[in-house]
Amino acid sequence: MLDTLTLAQASAPAPMQTGTLHHYLVVSALLFVIGLIGFVSRRNLIIMFLCTELMFQAAGIALIAFSRFWLNHTGETFVIFVLTIAAAEAALALALVVLLFRRKESLDGAKWSEMRG
Amino acid sequence: MTQALPSTMLAAVSMGEKFVAMWPEAFLFITTCVVMVLGLSKSLPVRRMCAPLAGVGLIGAGLIAAAMTPDTLCPLPSMAMYGKVLAAGIGLVLVCLLAGTVDRDFESDVERTGWFDVIRSKRAEFWAFFLFSLTGLMLTAGADDLILLFLALELTSLPTYVMVAISTRRDRSMEAGVKYFFLGALGAAMFLYGFAFIYGGTGHTGLQDIQREVRAQVDAGGINELTMLGLVLAVVGICFKIAAVPMHFYTPDVYQGSSASMAGYLAFVPKAAGFFAIMLVVSCAGWGFGESRAELPGMLRDVLWIIAVLTMTVGNVLALLQSSVKRILAYSSIAHSGYMLVGVIAGPGLDGRGGEFTRNGLAAVLFYLLSYGVMTVGAFAVLACLERRSRDGEIEEADHVADIRGLCKTHPVLGWIMVVSVVGLLGLPPLLGFFGKLPLFTSAISAGEIPLVVILAINSAIAAYYYLRLAYLCYIDPPETSPNLAPLRATPFGSRRVAGMLSAIGVVVLAVVGGKLADATVTAGRYIPPAGQTQQPERAADDDAPTPEHVVAPH
Repeated sequence: MLDTLTLAQASAPAPMQTGTLHHYLVVSALLFVIGLIGFVSRRNLIIMFLCTELMFQAAGIALIAFSRFWLNHTGETFVIFVLTIAAAEAALALALVVLLFRRKESLDGAKWSEMRG
Repeated sequence: MTQALPSTMLAAVSMGEKFVAMWPEAFLFITTCVVMVLGLSKSLPVRRMCAPLAGVGLIGAGLIAAAMTPDTLCPLPSMAMYGKVLAAGIGLVLVCLLAGTVDRDFESDVERTGWFDVIRSKRAEFWAFFLFSLTGLMLTAGADDLILLFLALELTSLPTYVMVAISTRRDRSMEAGVKYFFLGALGAAMFLYGFAFIYGGTGHTGLQDIQREVRAQVDAGGINELTMLGLVLAVVGICFKIAAVPMHFYTPDVYQGSSASMAGYLAFVPKAAGFFAIMLVVSCAGWGFGESRAELPGMLRDVLWIIAVLTMTVGNVLALLQSSVKRILAYSSIAHSGYMLVGVIAGPGLDGRGGEFTRNGLAAVLFYLLSYGVMTVGAFAVLACLERRSRDGEIEEADHVADIRGLCKTHPVLGWIMVVSVVGLLGLPPLLGFFGKLPLFTSAISAGEIPLVVILAINSAIAAYYYLRLAYLCYIDPPETSPNLAPLRATPFGSRRVAGMLSAIGVVVLAVVGGKLADATVTAGRYIPPAGQTQQPERAADDDAPTPEHVVAPH
């Protein structure tokens, strides 16, 4: 009797406590804000790119936490797609950065400000 | 469990329909793959097939989209078809406009030396990315799920970053590309975070499910804070795509840095994708859940209101200060986003089913997207048609306002295209722009947004100054010959001129046949209000005062 109960519990996970969800959301919000601040304050192109990547992963953490909270797999599916997009974006970013570096031998974003106004 | 069963069965039934609805995109994707390979061919005639083939792909996709009536499973079910046909139609004009944008110097090198280097050729990438981006736009219009919406938006914008960077050989294009990329990634991260919270607040990613869940939350006392935060973040993130205020900084630099034809592309494609996305996201939270029936939920409406007002004002005021035509058009593009947001705020009107054209703000936005696309492509086509060899030997396109001085005398056709386009953008009565702007006004008035209408009118008046200045420069000013600069000559790419003429003809002719278009947009702007707990599907249409339990405004 006891064994069947624990088995049933193992196959159907217990709902997540709201407090636990909040812990995950705090971590995700911290990551997002760190990314945002880094993006605004740093001028190194690679660091700026890493900051956007942090923001993507913050969304990923939030999605997984919500997925567990709602006990469905939609959020986890979403994360897989987010990872794919993040990879595509990384390829693009690095290609652009290499292109820029070849022209000016520098990763400083401030050197690329010909247009203003 | 018993409740979950019908919805899963529904999903199973709709899966086949979903694939059928994606035939236009599938066709376009196949064309893209062919174009990508053909562009790498050693033989010049085969390489030259890229652009015509892209046009054929777009015609095919547009016809398939028009032949089917794919109703998606979302609160705006009929927008998909209109959006896909619109993307194909404007895409065709853009194919003409973008001819010769990349590797023309490379091609002339190849003709001289006869040596072809696959690595240095950019034609295959450019046209494949162009088609990928339009596929993304079509998918955005037909999205019925947050995951699909996110992927479609990224498919629209990722290729454009590369297209901007390779559109000319100057450092400016690189700068424009990198600015566009970084702000784009920031915007994407923001609306992704927003989508995560919408999912967190409702437990669904399907737009219809979200709408139902939000409705339940409203009936239970108020929209969940998580959902509301998610909606606001998503809207602010998508503002990048439509070049609206908190995320508009890149616009003038990117338009100026990329080639004029690419700027025309940027003014339409990402903006259309952004507006489709914003309407889909906002439709989840629904018009008709707020304090009065036709209104958005409190905080979402306030955010959109502030964004709309700031966007049009900032765009119009900064456009007055510019001396580059591309920058003027970029700021005008920002301002036009603000105008269109008015339609989003006004919503589908009291008759939620679409109904009258003059009351449906969503139909107004869809119509405006078409008219704005036609007019702005015309204006950019004129700039793309004029070029000179600058001192460093690179080709430089017309950009400074002095370049278009007296254009009606030196290049009459181009001059008149410019005049018609900018007067259309201004919204003068016989032209398309007027018929685009009118329903924005009327729908906002019927939704009771009087302050917004007043601000919209003031902004249209400010905009008259710089649009008329451009028209004046072309039409009345004498041609100016600067001793320092080589004179401008017409580009060897005749199809760009065709794109300009098509747009100018469109500005006049589409205004004449506007009635049919208006009907199409009303069908496309059909909004399905959610069934409430009381199971009243006609809720949004009845004229009773709102019941007290709907008076919710979580701040």
